Amino acid sequence: MLEPASVALKFAFLAVLYLFLLWVARSSLRDLRRPIGGGVQVIPTDATGLHSAVVGLEHEPIGDLDPRLRVERASGLIGGDEYDILEGLVIGRGEVDVRIEDVFASSRHAKIAPEGNLLVLEDLGSTNGTFLNGEVIRGPQPLHPGDRITIGDNEFTYWQ
Amino acid sequence: MKARNRELFGLIPASLLVVAGFTAVFIQRQDQVSNVSLTYGALFLGLCLGGHFFLRFALPNADPYLFPLFAALASIGLVMIYRIDETLARQQAQWFVIGLACFAATIIFLRDYRKLERYRYLIATASILLLMAPRLPVIGGTVNGAYLAVDIGPLTFQPAEFAKIGIVIFLASYLRDTRQLLVQGSRRILGVTIPPLKQFGPLLVVWGLAMLMLIFIRDLGSSLMFFGAFLALLYVATNRLSFVVVGLGMFSVGAWFFASNLAYVQDRVDIWKDPFGSGVIDNEGYQIAQSLFAQADGGVFGVGLGQSLLDLPGGAVIIPAPDTDLIYAVITNELGLVGACGVILLYLLIVERGFRIAQLARDSFSTLLAAGLTAVFALQVFVIIGGVTKVIPLTGVTLPFISYGGSSIVANFVLLALLLLISERARSREREEAG
Repeated sequence: MLEPASVALKFAFLAVLYLFLLWVARSSLRDLRRPIGGGVQVIPTDATGLHSAVVGLEHEPIGDLDPRLRVERASGLIGGDEYDILEGLVIGRGEVDVRIEDVFASSRHAKIAPEGNLLVLEDLGSTNGTFLNGEVIRGPQPLHPGDRITIGDNEFTYWQ
Repeated sequence: MKARNRELFGLIPASLLVVAGFTAVFIQRQDQVSNVSLTYGALFLGLCLGGHFFLRFALPNADPYLFPLFAALASIGLVMIYRIDETLARQQAQWFVIGLACFAATIIFLRDYRKLERYRYLIATASILLLMAPRLPVIGGTVNGAYLAVDIGPLTFQPAEFAKIGIVIFLASYLRDTRQLLVQGSRRILGVTIPPLKQFGPLLVVWGLAMLMLIFIRDLGSSLMFFGAFLALLYVATNRLSFVVVGLGMFSVGAWFFASNLAYVQDRVDIWKDPFGSGVIDNEGYQIAQSLFAQADGGVFGVGLGQSLLDLPGGAVIIPAPDTDLIYAVITNELGLVGACGVILLYLLIVERGFRIAQLARDSFSTLLAAGLTAVFALQVFVIIGGVTKVIPLTGVTLPFISYGGSSIVANFVLLALLLLISERARSREREEAG
């Protein structure tokens, strides 16, 4: 038995569903045409965000370059000094390559090491953490020219 | 129009769907459903409004379309379940209450969802243990030969629904840290890009464990879902199609191996290839064959709400599992091709909103998390609709927000909450910067 009322209700049901779909689809399309970030300069928030996955992933082999760690300000070191880091090095308060006199630094604080075609910065389980461009790092992070590495009050920059 | 006003406006169609659907079913089946049960519809609408006002206060800038889209799905699901069995509709309405409570709890306690990153190994371990739980002696339980459910006292739940969210959180947070190394540290050997083993290792281990568990508990649908989400995230994180191609190759080899060596996988594939064969159609092939018949019977506009023949008066089952696995077939039968396309379009728009949220997010963890959650959701829909329409072998996963099932409702509410949190963060930053 098919009542006319229920047939009408079925079509009403479908009509409402499709009107709703149309409304969402139309608004979504309008939304898609809008540029991301409303045309505002996008400020990346994490350390790797400066170098998006899409652009500049291919690297020249670092062997052809001259990777250096420049001291910006560090207690016990002279600002402007540069370390050659082609082979990697360790930063810390103890018997390491780059010694900083800062109670906030751990004895072996952070490590820079070559990995494939690039150099990566890694925290060695320090108490107060290592910062790359102002963000605390978790896990190894690749370095790019101009990156700021901060340990306590000490700051280094990476150049190649 | 402000985001939250748009959302409120979007809830009007959902409420109309519930009213029209419940009335149609009620008129058709007065002998079997009582008018008391109409209150479940009212209860559902009250819940939607409650959810909306909570969002108005908690996440003022979040995406305005997601919640109404989910509400529309849920209303179709509730109408269908009400039509199949009014007791189940009452239980489903109760699950919505619990789901909404978990939704609110997620938004309150995970306001800074980025702290999830810190617990990624804990989350990964917990997810794998969850997947394994149905295989444990006392609390485990089987559904159609698959170890899907856990029974603890009065509570039964399907851990794979929750594990999918946990695994996505782990993959997103791990790939956020290592994605650059995966690409830049790669060596090219004989023209093939090999990612560095040190970074790729843990990923493979966790993924492999999840896969093993899925084979161990025989949940093929979920394993397809997990693998797809894994590849999607890897692609979003590294932008390397070659990883996806290699992954698909690995999957083909694995699928071929399991299909020819494991009896229960073999059975599923045989049924899928020919459900109408003599001897098959009355036994293993019955479910898929009846599903196809029901969908064909629906025609363009369907036989009408409440009209579908689920059981014969004598007790013979025409459509098995109409409230869970085959609910899509029941919808197609009653609302026709047009209704079924509407349902698929609802899912499609949800996926579009999800990827849009991923695109708007400003940090890589948020992007990866939103993309991963959306991918796992989309794949779940594909696995079950694909199974019911005989595109792929039928495996039992739920149709999100439509199928009857508490775990599915609760887990998908948590998924929705995470997407809205990511969206809120991205959109409020945008507003600040725009002044």
